[in-house]
Amino acid sequence: MKMVRLDKQKFNDFIRELSVEYSVYAPGKVSGKTGFIPVESGDEIDFTSTVTDMSAKSIFFPHSEVLFEYDEDGIRAAQTSHRPIAVWGMRSCDARSLVMLDRVFGSAVQMPEDEKFQDPYWKEKYNTSLIFGCACNEPLSTCFCNWFGGGPYNNDGMDVSVVDAGDVYLMEPVSEKGTDIIGKLSCYKDAAEEDKALAAKLASDADSMMIAPPDTDGLGERLTALFDEAVWEEISAKCVNCGACTFSCPTCHCFDMQDEGKGSRGKRVRIWDSCMFPIFTMEASGHNPRALSSARVRQRVMHKYSYYPENYGETLCTGCGRCVMVCPVNLDIREVLKRINVYNEQEK
Amino acid sequence: MSMVNNLRKTIKELLAEKKIDLFIVWEKGSLPLSATPLFITSEDEADRAVFDITCGNNLSVYFTKDRKQFSDKKVGIAVKGCDARSVVLNILEKQIDRRNVVITGVPCHGVLDKKKVLDKTDGREVLEMIDDGDTVTLKGKGYELSFDRSEILSSSCLACIYPDAQECDIFIGDARAEIPNENRLKEIKEFEALSSSERWANTRAEYEKCIRCYACRNVCPSCYCNVCFVDQNDPGWIGNTCEFTDSMIFHIIRNLHVAGRCVECGACERACPMDINLLQLNRKVAMEVKDRFGDIAGLDINGKPAMADFREDEKQDFIMG
Amino acid sequence: MANSYIPLQMKVQRIEAEDPDRTLRTYDLTFVNESEKEAFKYLPGQFCEISILGKGESPFGIASSPTEPDYLRFTVNRTGSVTSDIHYLRNGDIVGMRGPLGNWYPVDDMKGMNVLIVGGGFAFTTLRSLLIYLLDSRDDYKDITVIYGARNPDLFIYKDEIAIWKQRDDIQFHLTIDKPVDGWNEKTGFVPTVTQEVAPSPEDTLAIVCGPPVMIKYTLPVLTELGFPDERIFTSLERRMKCGIGKCGRCNIGSKYICIDGPVFSMAELKNIPEAF
Repeated sequence: MKMVRLDKQKFNDFIRELSVEYSVYAPGKVSGKTGFIPVESGDEIDFTSTVTDMSAKSIFFPHSEVLFEYDEDGIRAAQTSHRPIAVWGMRSCDARSLVMLDRVFGSAVQMPEDEKFQDPYWKEKYNTSLIFGCACNEPLSTCFCNWFGGGPYNNDGMDVSVVDAGDVYLMEPVSEKGTDIIGKLSCYKDAAEEDKALAAKLASDADSMMIAPPDTDGLGERLTALFDEAVWEEISAKCVNCGACTFSCPTCHCFDMQDEGKGSRGKRVRIWDSCMFPIFTMEASGHNPRALSSARVRQRVMHKYSYYPENYGETLCTGCGRCVMVCPVNLDIREVLKRINVYNEQEK
Repeated sequence: MSMVNNLRKTIKELLAEKKIDLFIVWEKGSLPLSATPLFITSEDEADRAVFDITCGNNLSVYFTKDRKQFSDKKVGIAVKGCDARSVVLNILEKQIDRRNVVITGVPCHGVLDKKKVLDKTDGREVLEMIDDGDTVTLKGKGYELSFDRSEILSSSCLACIYPDAQECDIFIGDARAEIPNENRLKEIKEFEALSSSERWANTRAEYEKCIRCYACRNVCPSCYCNVCFVDQNDPGWIGNTCEFTDSMIFHIIRNLHVAGRCVECGACERACPMDINLLQLNRKVAMEVKDRFGDIAGLDINGKPAMADFREDEKQDFIMG
Repeated sequence: MANSYIPLQMKVQRIEAEDPDRTLRTYDLTFVNESEKEAFKYLPGQFCEISILGKGESPFGIASSPTEPDYLRFTVNRTGSVTSDIHYLRNGDIVGMRGPLGNWYPVDDMKGMNVLIVGGGFAFTTLRSLLIYLLDSRDDYKDITVIYGARNPDLFIYKDEIAIWKQRDDIQFHLTIDKPVDGWNEKTGFVPTVTQEVAPSPEDTLAIVCGPPVMIKYTLPVLTELGFPDERIFTSLERRMKCGIGKCGRCNIGSKYICIDGPVFSMAELKNIPEAF
């Protein structure tokens, strides 16, 4: 497909042009932490971190979201249609995470044809969105996107792939929507052959910076086979069951629904929840099927690397490494998976 | 013999002499700035034990979390001065049986705050860190930086006056008693000097960052309620959204729940993925408790936590204003 | 786009206490909006989320049968905060309802077969739905056997209907209580034991089991022992639920979600799922 080049000096023009039709989100800093924020000009964008502290999922699935409001006159659904969203600067790990989440918030695999079970709050934002990726030239030591089919230059889930090539951004449409927008905007020129060669070189350089992954073939089956093993007590011993990993994770999507109101007026809100919390599965009777920390840690690992793959054919992990960075006790998911590999071999 | 070797030797001896079933300590983590908790049950694992500037976790938390996994075991635990106070507090609150724990003090010279490190590197990833006791050197792609180690220490350490365990069974080296620290109350006094609106604005800016992951609560050895008030839904005391009012109420109530029980170890602040300066309110309350009741949480194993005690000569002016 | 998070409005039409302690109450709800009533199609075994606005939602199995078109029936045990508020409802009050959710008992497969229904305690709700559904086309099915157990005689729900069912000669209806009580003329003993005694031949028979987890856990092996193949034993499971539509991630057992893959599972399916019991 056609590659174009955008001079960084014209970046503000580009964002302005994009803003005509879209609400533009891009990496930015809020109180010292990076995440995706609404921007109106290129100057607000902060590209210092390879992986933003908070993932891009919150653009489409915010921490707290009103589902409906109610009062004496009845129930009114919160508005689900929005001005379309364009995201600039999404790394491949986050762009892929949205594809994974869309399978859940779209019709779940169990009911592929049943629109009734689509999540309107997610769908109407995500379906109309436009995602400009940003390839990683400097992957971090915590990045492990290459473990599960991704990579620093992977384009899954993007509409337009973007390469930061010094003074210019090199952009290439990946989807039909991407082709349309590249056709519409005016602030760039066609890329030259040298540009294409440079993009290819940067891509292979980035790939070579990634650490070779361990063998993860058959991981889901291995996990299932180890379900009742003591290895989970060993793995979970240090976990303090906070939700830092799940809240920073771009693919964790469990939520709670809570009513907030007084008298006859109020609203129902969905709020990020975490399988790490004991009350997540606590039943009204007091019975808790996952009362033990080991069962909760196992659930998180199984969901990502066994259950979701069983339902959708790929892991629910993009290897962004955020959970590795935020864990207050350094329970490193990569070490967990390596341990699972070895434990299995000990068994044989 | 180095301190760490002594620590490892001690662990081996305790296990060999069957004085303990388990020893809780730190080992090298998977990242240059992080140590990770280690549960040692056999002598050959003892050589993995470390203690250095990265060992910020307060390991006493493992006595009180929901699994109560050590309830029938004899447990040895490595403690910094602040961690030792947590163990003592947990003993006073009957969460730990004094007879079943071997408190093993290690000489602490402060632990790092990752946020301060990343400020030094402008957010660039740290691939290697060397701490020679005075100077810390950070290395990453295309940079190497050296500076005084005090510049990256946790705010709890900068204000610390009990770096070493005051109550312990074994100390690796010579334990220091209370040390002078002119910065003890510096941060709090600066905060108090602000106008009420400035204090509110600062506090609001901090607590607006909260994502309600509860890492602060869950790494805290003093936070062990079976059902935390924030998790109760009948009645639901407070909302769980990230709106400032919900978050602020959570933190204020937690702050008051640990009044007289917070040992100012700073584990909450270091665990916070959003870098909220959680210790500020806690230290303010700890200072109030000290002023009013003369109590420092977890210092005196023969004492009583301030909020669990009443003396007739206590200041009661707050009741009548 | 359809929005499955929005509750429909239902009016409380009838309330009846099922036990002397009044911790179990049955509610008949009618649709406020007639067009919603027309669109609401369900089968025995499905459930709904009942909302008390301001308090929250809880899932309840539908106790009425689709052959009873005038109302939706639910029996509510008072345990938590939502169920307490449901118990405060009066006739004419409005509640929210989302549904029907989940899958259903294999009623099509039951045609021309014998059916064994094993139930316990207040989990008899969806089994009532099933029983009424079968009885309303009685000729489509062969023998129907019901085994229903409760801790004591007070804790059976739908006592008036049980009395009628007991009279019928086209169903075998066995009641049992855990421990003997004066004046009790039916069976005594736990459900698994009674099942062993009175279950029909597994030949051409489908078994449906629904009750407290411990009852299910010990009844399923009995059926297996009696020769029921895994594909013809079905049970209904419960977990804490929120969204009911497979998004919120909490009611899973293994890779299956109770809310959309269940609540009804065959024994053959459960054998491959960890943490089902």
